[in-house]
Amino acid sequence: MSREVGINQLKRRDFLKAGLVFGAGASGLAAGYAAVPDAFARAVYAAKKEGMTNDNILVMIQLAGGNDGLRTLVPLADPALHDLRPKLAGPMVSQALPLNSQYGLNHNLGGIKGLWDKGKVAIVQGVGYPNPTFSHFESIRIWETGDPTRRQVDGWLGRTLATNYDSNGHPLTGCACGATDAPGALRDLQATLTVIQNQKTFGFTGGTEVEAAVGALYKGTPGIYGALFDTAIATATETMATLRTSATTYQPMADYTDKVQLVYSSKNQLAAALQLAAELIVTGTGVKLLHVTLGGFDTHYTELNRHDDLMGYLDSAVSAFYQDLAAHNMADKVLIATWSEFGRRPKENASGGTDHGAAAPLLLIGDPVKGGLYGDEPSLTSLDNTGNLKFGVDFRSVYQEILSGHLGADATKILGASFDQIPFLKAPVAV
Amino acid sequence: MPQPRHPGSNWLVSLAQIEQPVVASPSRARGITRRQALTTAVVTGVGVGVVRLLSGSMQQIASPRTGTTTDWISPLGSESARVMQLLRRTSFGYTQAQLDASLSDGFNKTVDRLIETKPMEPPVLAVANTPGGRFPINQLQQWWIDQMLTTPTPFAERMTLFWHGHFTSDYRKAADDTFMYWQNLTWRNMGMTDLRSMLMQVTTDPAMLRYLDLATSTGQSPNENYSRELMELFTMGAGNYTEDDVREGAKALAGWTIPQPDTYATVVVDKANNVTRKLPVYSGQKAGVLNARRAYKGSVTYLGKTGPLDTQGVIDRILAQPATATFIANKVVQHFVAARPSMAFVKNLGDTFRRSKYDVKTLMHAVFTSPEFAANQSYRSLVKSPTEFMVHAARALGVTSISKLIAGSGSGMGQSVFDPPDVNGWPNNESWISSNTVVERVNFATSAMAQAKGTLPPATDAVHKHLDGVLSPQTAKLFNQAADDRARWFITLASPEFQLK
Repeated sequence: MSREVGINQLKRRDFLKAGLVFGAGASGLAAGYAAVPDAFARAVYAAKKEGMTNDNILVMIQLAGGNDGLRTLVPLADPALHDLRPKLAGPMVSQALPLNSQYGLNHNLGGIKGLWDKGKVAIVQGVGYPNPTFSHFESIRIWETGDPTRRQVDGWLGRTLATNYDSNGHPLTGCACGATDAPGALRDLQATLTVIQNQKTFGFTGGTEVEAAVGALYKGTPGIYGALFDTAIATATETMATLRTSATTYQPMADYTDKVQLVYSSKNQLAAALQLAAELIVTGTGVKLLHVTLGGFDTHYTELNRHDDLMGYLDSAVSAFYQDLAAHNMADKVLIATWSEFGRRPKENASGGTDHGAAAPLLLIGDPVKGGLYGDEPSLTSLDNTGNLKFGVDFRSVYQEILSGHLGADATKILGASFDQIPFLKAPVAV
Repeated sequence: MPQPRHPGSNWLVSLAQIEQPVVASPSRARGITRRQALTTAVVTGVGVGVVRLLSGSMQQIASPRTGTTTDWISPLGSESARVMQLLRRTSFGYTQAQLDASLSDGFNKTVDRLIETKPMEPPVLAVANTPGGRFPINQLQQWWIDQMLTTPTPFAERMTLFWHGHFTSDYRKAADDTFMYWQNLTWRNMGMTDLRSMLMQVTTDPAMLRYLDLATSTGQSPNENYSRELMELFTMGAGNYTEDDVREGAKALAGWTIPQPDTYATVVVDKANNVTRKLPVYSGQKAGVLNARRAYKGSVTYLGKTGPLDTQGVIDRILAQPATATFIANKVVQHFVAARPSMAFVKNLGDTFRRSKYDVKTLMHAVFTSPEFAANQSYRSLVKSPTEFMVHAARALGVTSISKLIAGSGSGMGQSVFDPPDVNGWPNNESWISSNTVVERVNFATSAMAQAKGTLPPATDAVHKHLDGVLSPQTAKLFNQAADDRARWFITLASPEFQLK
């Protein structure tokens, strides 16, 4: 059945190229994909184009809402922090986990601090872009597309998929875990990707009869959404088959828990999403680019507890994920990177929170990382004319190192330009 | 990952034969011929059969434009098809009786009736009197879905959902489900009034005061959250104001607080240790209260003018910007007409809206009676939101008892009411389509069929009354192969056609 679907979709793909369908949709090929049969085998991911071969994996963690960089990587010795944040600064400095005399991690990032001590955490400071927007949705789009001029519509990971991996027609190459719709970063008209909210319930409740009937129903669907519908079902059906195999072989080797007490409950189950990512990685499904989201970082109000709790949740989920990968002997292949649309205003507001800001640090975690601090520290006394931190590192510099150094992809082609190098990888891939 | 057979779904077995290869045995030969004929018929525009509607009119399906299968064959040349499209887009689908009434009224009279009929009030939600305002959110969700399923004025519910996604709040941060209940009552009552009143109402809405932090903002140290989203997401759109406007607006809007409760109830929160707390009780719906001491005292420069400014002044400045009418019109069009409307169409509607002093009835009337709404390109150009899909399925089946199933099934499809993904509300159209969401839609069809006991309306009727008799060759084939009517119903509800409006 999958071959036939593939042929159909090939035609539909030409149809898509002709511009009859929207630019923002996800679609792709399902042809020619064969599940990797031997679970636990270290998968070899054959990237077909331009002779690229590389079996590294990227996991992007979105901290949605605008993560407070100053509470993540805390400047310990800057008196200006206390002037800007009379209510918030005291405890965040006194409780921080010191990395050196100048900086400490949020006190709830104990697991990540442990990885830092082993040289597995790189922190790039002051990451942003020129003329920052303070709109969540505009800034998310800029980070997702890698284009501050807002002309690009496809996501930077979607373009990576389409440029490097699409030709092997593997629906699990790009996967959004713990989500119901595709994040903008993974979207590209030509990219194949899967969205799985929860692997335990991902399947047709009506069983194989329904699966077969629906597979036949969603074929050659007319109209502007036809290709999207058909691809969604074809991708889902193939992914279910893969998950049936992986679920029988995957044994989690870490304690993932989503029973986290947050000030208000989170919509995103980060630990469950990362456990799904681990399952896909360690069972050799061929997954390359994974995306998970943790929401709730828009801390305009009573930031003290809210942000600390989110940090604790991030820490426990990432720690379990790393431990699981390491126990399965896959940690050397996986780079974990956080991103957020912006940091927060250095000056606190009347609500005991902070408004939308600009530059903030990014965390890069995993065995491929050369631990340490990168980029210049943004000054708390020389703020920009909106009262925000000035950026020192363009976020596309980080993307470039991920793309070329970790994935072995043509970063300049994907990003449309070349950026300053941030050498946070231990052994960058030679391109 | 074995998939358990859904309880009570023996009818699914009748689907099993669908994928069997067609063999050239004599017993099969007739079936093939019939299927081929049907498939051809659909593609060439005759439909599954000539359709007789209850009003006695014959449904005319237009000739295909190109003879290819790359687009749906629009039936919108016929008035009955236009009426059905109008109801799909405005009413969460329809029951037989509602369809009959509208077909007999015709398109224009139906538009007038939708817009002019006073909304039927939902029953009072007793649990909303809970001191402290916290109760299981699914009770609020089910209460609203019950209203969608049974109301004689479904357009009011459709507009309530539209405004809930636009002026959005979520129960998690609002932290008071009674406030969320009030907000829902507000959009039912005000959803067809004027934008000026609605903006004042939403600014002082208790759930919104919490959700976007205006309740804790002061003139001395303003919180920018509401000021920004008021312009970016509620009225003007990004690019039509400056960061200074956000800051100055935040000053001018500061000072609102949550209304004082009428009384407090002493509630035992920990029985074992006999711990009690005093929780707020409201006798009825209330708006936020301005505390002059928390407000900003000086003058501000906002959207090009300088002077003292209160909340009404902020709203009036926003309404003086041409971007506002266009922004709202664009959003309405994407929900009711076309995913990618032409700028000229949107601008025209925006001009109409502004000239009418932002009267929502005038805007919606212009939207529904526009040539664009009835154009062939408009046919199946929108994707039903999960709530629309599920409620339509229930109404088509004639089942009103599955609000619990509907309330619990939305999140996997990307929409759980009172719990939007973020302050931008829900995305629309193509964003509803992913591997996860389409599977969940199919699973809902399976569950709905399992819960729809008793005799169902004939499935063939449903194809004509809900899908205009316009099916893809694959859907027509599967429909005709299905062994019984319950299997045909499943094909209908799970089909791509039924996901569109």
